[in-house]
Amino acid sequence: MATLVQIENLRKEFGNVRALDGVTFSVESGEWIAIMGPSGSGKTTLINILGGLDTPTSGQAVVDGTDVARLDEAGLTRFRAEKIGFVFQQFHLVQYLTALENVMLAQYFHSTTDEGEARVALERVGLADRIDHLPSELSGGEQQRVAVARALINQPKLILADEPTGNLDEANEQIVLRLFRELHTEGHTILMVTHAHSIGELADRRIDLAHGRLAHKV
Amino acid sequence: MMFGRLLWKMLRSNRGRLAVALVAVTSGAAVISALLNLQFDIERKLTREFRTLGANLVISRGNALQANGDSSATPGAFGSPTLMDQSVLGQIERMRTPDVVAEAPFLYVVARAADTPVVVAGTWLDQISKLDPTWKLGGEWITSREDEAQCLVGRSVAQQFNLAPGGQIELGYLGRTAKLRVAGVIDAGGTEDNQVFVNLPVAQSLANLRGPEGQIQFVQLSVNGTATSISNYAEKLASSLPAYDVRPIRQVTEAEGNLLAHTRLLILSMVLLILLLTALCVLATMAALAMERRADVGLMKALGGSMSRILELFLAEVSVLGAAGGLIGCVVGVALAEWMGRRVFGTSITPRWDVFPLTIAMMVGVALAGALPLRFLGKIRPAVILRGK
Repeated sequence: MATLVQIENLRKEFGNVRALDGVTFSVESGEWIAIMGPSGSGKTTLINILGGLDTPTSGQAVVDGTDVARLDEAGLTRFRAEKIGFVFQQFHLVQYLTALENVMLAQYFHSTTDEGEARVALERVGLADRIDHLPSELSGGEQQRVAVARALINQPKLILADEPTGNLDEANEQIVLRLFRELHTEGHTILMVTHAHSIGELADRRIDLAHGRLAHKV
Repeated sequence: MMFGRLLWKMLRSNRGRLAVALVAVTSGAAVISALLNLQFDIERKLTREFRTLGANLVISRGNALQANGDSSATPGAFGSPTLMDQSVLGQIERMRTPDVVAEAPFLYVVARAADTPVVVAGTWLDQISKLDPTWKLGGEWITSREDEAQCLVGRSVAQQFNLAPGGQIELGYLGRTAKLRVAGVIDAGGTEDNQVFVNLPVAQSLANLRGPEGQIQFVQLSVNGTATSISNYAEKLASSLPAYDVRPIRQVTEAEGNLLAHTRLLILSMVLLILLLTALCVLATMAALAMERRADVGLMKALGGSMSRILELFLAEVSVLGAAGGLIGCVVGVALAEWMGRRVFGTSITPRWDVFPLTIAMMVGVALAGALPLRFLGKIRPAVILRGK
C-alpha cells in the first residue's frame, strides 16, 4: 500500500497555546485510522490541517503528494475540493437546500453538477425516499448520511470525519458506522476523530493524542 | 443551472430580510423614476411652453434690431429703415427643419387711418397664430398670405376706430391707400394691440417696396428645441446667410436655459440623496445577512468553494434584488410622476421608457454598493465557523 498521508513534526500554536507539538505519523492508502484523545488534545486541529481548513505553524502535512503547509489560499481551496471529503459532528448542511442539493453543492464547487450521480450517492446511503427533503425534515442520522453522501460525491482521496456519530442516537450511530465500514471495505482512506473506544476499535489503527503530542499508536 | 437553483433557494430562504431591502430599493426606484420622468417630461413641456412665448430667432440686416433699441423684437416693433431683400425668405425656407414651427417676414409702415397714425405690420398672416400662440382672436384668422383684402387689428386699434370683425379700415401712406375688411381683432396683451396686421404685399404696396425684389425689415422664426439646439440652428443659419444677422432672442432662451438648469440640478441632487439613502438601507440589511450567512460561507469554503464563486452567488442575489426593486419601483414611479404632475404642476406626465433601464441600472448599482459588508465573508475561517466558535 502507498503512503497517502505523511505528517512530520507537525506543530500548531494558537497564541501561547500549543495545540499540536511535533506530531509525526503516516497513513497508508485504504487505511481507517481512529484519532482519539481527550478534549483539547489537538484531534480536531490535526484533522483541520490535514483537510486544508487550517495551516500548521511548522512541520509537514503531505496528503497525496501535496504539502498542505505550502499551499496558499487558492491552493487550499482546490485541495479541499479535489482531495478531501468532510463529515462533521454537527452535519453542517445548508438548511435551505434539499438533501439532493446539499450533495450537488459539493459537485458545484468541485467542477460540474450531475444530479443523477448525486441521486445515486443518496440512494447508496439509504436516502432514496428523502432526496427532496430539507435538513429540517430529516432526522439526525439522515442528515449525517446526507453529509456522508456529500463527502463521497467527488471521490476524494481522504475522508476526514470529526466525531461523525457524536450527535446521533445508537440506532443512527450504527447506520453511519456501517456506512463507514462499507467505505473502508471499498478502499477509501478514512481518518476519524472519536471519543468512543468502541468506534476506535473498528479502525485499522488508533492514534492517541494528549496535549498535542502523539501519546500512543496502536 | 445549479447556479440558478442556488440563487433561487437563497432568495427564498431570506425572503423576510430581503423583503426589507426590496422595499427600500423599490421606494428609492419609485421616487427616482418619478423624478426622472418629471425631469424629462417637464423639460419637454417647458421647451414647448417657451415656444408659445413667441418667436425665438430673428434674422435681420446688420444691427437693425438693436437700432430699434428692442432686442426682444416682438411682432409689431417698428424697426429701423434697414431693409432686406425678400429673396432671403427662399434661402431660409431651404434650410427649414421640422423643428421650425413658424416663419414670417415683417415690414412696418406708419400709415394713417382717418388721419390718425397707426402702425401697420406687413407679415404672413397665415403664420402669426403659430408664431405667437398666446394671442387671442375675436373673429377669424386669415389663412392665406396672399389675401390682400383683409386684415387683423389690435384690440386698441379696434377700440380707437370702433372696429369689429366684418368692419372696414382704410390705410393711407404717402398717397397710397389700401381698403381692408377686418377679419378679426387681436388681443395680444402688448404693443401688438396698437397695430394693424396685413399681409406683406399690402404693406409693401403702401411703402412702395413691392415687386420681384420686394423688401422686408426682418424675419422671425419660432423654433422648437432646447436653448442649445436653437443656438446651434441659429449658427447654421448664420453661416449660410453671412450678410445677415441671425440671433436667438435671449430673454426667452436664457430664461429657459436657467430654469431647466435649476430643475436639473435640483432633481439630480435629490436622485443622489435617494441613492445614498437606499444604499445605506441595503447596507444595513446585507450586514445582518452577512452575519447570518457566516456558517453557510464557512461550509462552502470547506467544500472547496473559492471566495469568488461564493461571492458570485451573493452578488447575483443582490443584483436580482436591485433589478426587481428597480423594475417594480419604475412602474410605481410612473404612477407617482403622473400624480405629482397633476397635483404639483397641473399637467399630465408622459412616461419615458428610457427611464426604466436607467433606474434599474442605478438600483442594481446601489444594491451592489450596499452589499459591501459581504466582503467580510472573505475573512471567514471555515475551521472556526465549523467548530461553532
